[in-house]
Amino acid sequence: MDASEATAVLARAREGDSDAFRVLVEQHSRSVFRLAYRMTGNEQDAEDVVQESFLRAYRQLGRFESRANFGTWLYRIAANCSVDLMRAKQARHDMTRAESLDETGEHLSADTPTPERLAVSDEIQRRVAHALDALSPLERAAFTLRHYEGRSIDEISRTLDLGVSAAKHSVFRAVKKLRVALEPLRSHQL
Amino acid sequence: MTHCTDEELTLYYYGEGRRRAAIARHLDTCAPCAALYREITDTLGLMAAPDEPVRDDQYGFEVWRRLQKDHRFEGFERFSRFGGFEWLRRVAAFGTFERFAGSGRFAGLATAAGLAALVVVAFLAGHAWRTSDVASTNVTNASNQSNTSNPANHSNLANHSNPENRILLASVADHLDRSERVLTDIMNAPAKSNISMEQQWAEDLLQTSRLYRQDAVDANETSVAAVLDDLERNLIEIVHSPSTISAADLEQLRRRIDAAALLFKVRVMSDELRRREEPPAGRALPQTSTRTIS
Repeated sequence: MDASEATAVLARAREGDSDAFRVLVEQHSRSVFRLAYRMTGNEQDAEDVVQESFLRAYRQLGRFESRANFGTWLYRIAANCSVDLMRAKQARHDMTRAESLDETGEHLSADTPTPERLAVSDEIQRRVAHALDALSPLERAAFTLRHYEGRSIDEISRTLDLGVSAAKHSVFRAVKKLRVALEPLRSHQL
Repeated sequence: MTHCTDEELTLYYYGEGRRRAAIARHLDTCAPCAALYREITDTLGLMAAPDEPVRDDQYGFEVWRRLQKDHRFEGFERFSRFGGFEWLRRVAAFGTFERFAGSGRFAGLATAAGLAALVVVAFLAGHAWRTSDVASTNVTNASNQSNTSNPANHSNLANHSNPENRILLASVADHLDRSERVLTDIMNAPAKSNISMEQQWAEDLLQTSRLYRQDAVDANETSVAAVLDDLERNLIEIVHSPSTISAADLEQLRRRIDAAALLFKVRVMSDELRRREEPPAGRALPQTSTRTIS
């Protein structure tokens, strides 16, 4: 779809044409899923984020400025939906999570992995996933955008609607927590 | 230069932050900072992007289908068919409010006035509806009393005795018959054949199907709406397939049609509607309402 077609589709969607909105959904679903999966680390959660993002987009389409890029706008919606979903999950499982974090800490220090086990990338991935799960929703979102999505601190602040300083410190806190959580892996890799 | 902070080194790793050249020089000469930086790079080096589950080209369409099933989206979809808030803005801009609606300061006031107008219109419409409803109920009851001794079938019989409804039932049955032919063609199409004719046909049917389905939903004809919904999804699949269809794509289409038992449902519903369109005299009518497709 060239730029003029995309503009026309967007204009129709803004007027409430659901067929035009369908074109946008079909065009952007995969990129939204990819971001949502990186943010949440869970397939079902990512699917929920995709659904919610498009619903929000449809609801807010009237507020979208046609000069802006729809993909960028949707990206922001998806990032914020991911944060909201992670916050909701965190609120539901706060107690459980606190317990599991304690267990994780013990597990990482007591059950020191052997070099052979460390060689297994599945094990590394599992631990990395666990470490990411231990971050707060905002820290995880900021880290994902910086580390996996290659977004600058300025872009992160705009995407998550934060001040630049808050965005920066979310990334710093995330990196600091990951360094602590993954220390056993790192020391065996050295 | 003093030692680097964690924050400075993190930003440096990501290619951001000020004093980048100075930090680079400092790392060459300061062992503690170099060790700290190595710790950060080692940690972040472990953070490879997760393997994402694969989503194929059909994924966007699947998301769209899920959205259509979402009751929150359905509301918007119906709403937008009537132009969303556009008509309300027009009401707000009408007459004396027109000059205010254009200016940002009074846009809210104009919209509020539009909303007030909406409330008044809704009240009047509701009043008129109730009045006509009472009248039509009286007519229907009178008609039922004269037509049947079974109170459970009053409304159904009233609708069956309405020639307009019977014509509409026949239209839906015809629509299902035509759809059945397209589905049968697709089920029997050879691999790598050109299905553009069937796609054109399916596209025409799709438009009609949507209208019938909406009417069925409005009339609480859930079984008719469900079959039309299934049909619509499969027609969309057909319309969006490549015209020269590969064996794999064709197989996928057939599997979807099979999985939904669509041909069977379409045939059964078509037969059912044909039975219902017959005049009520001489036999008992099915329990389901037929004040449906209008």
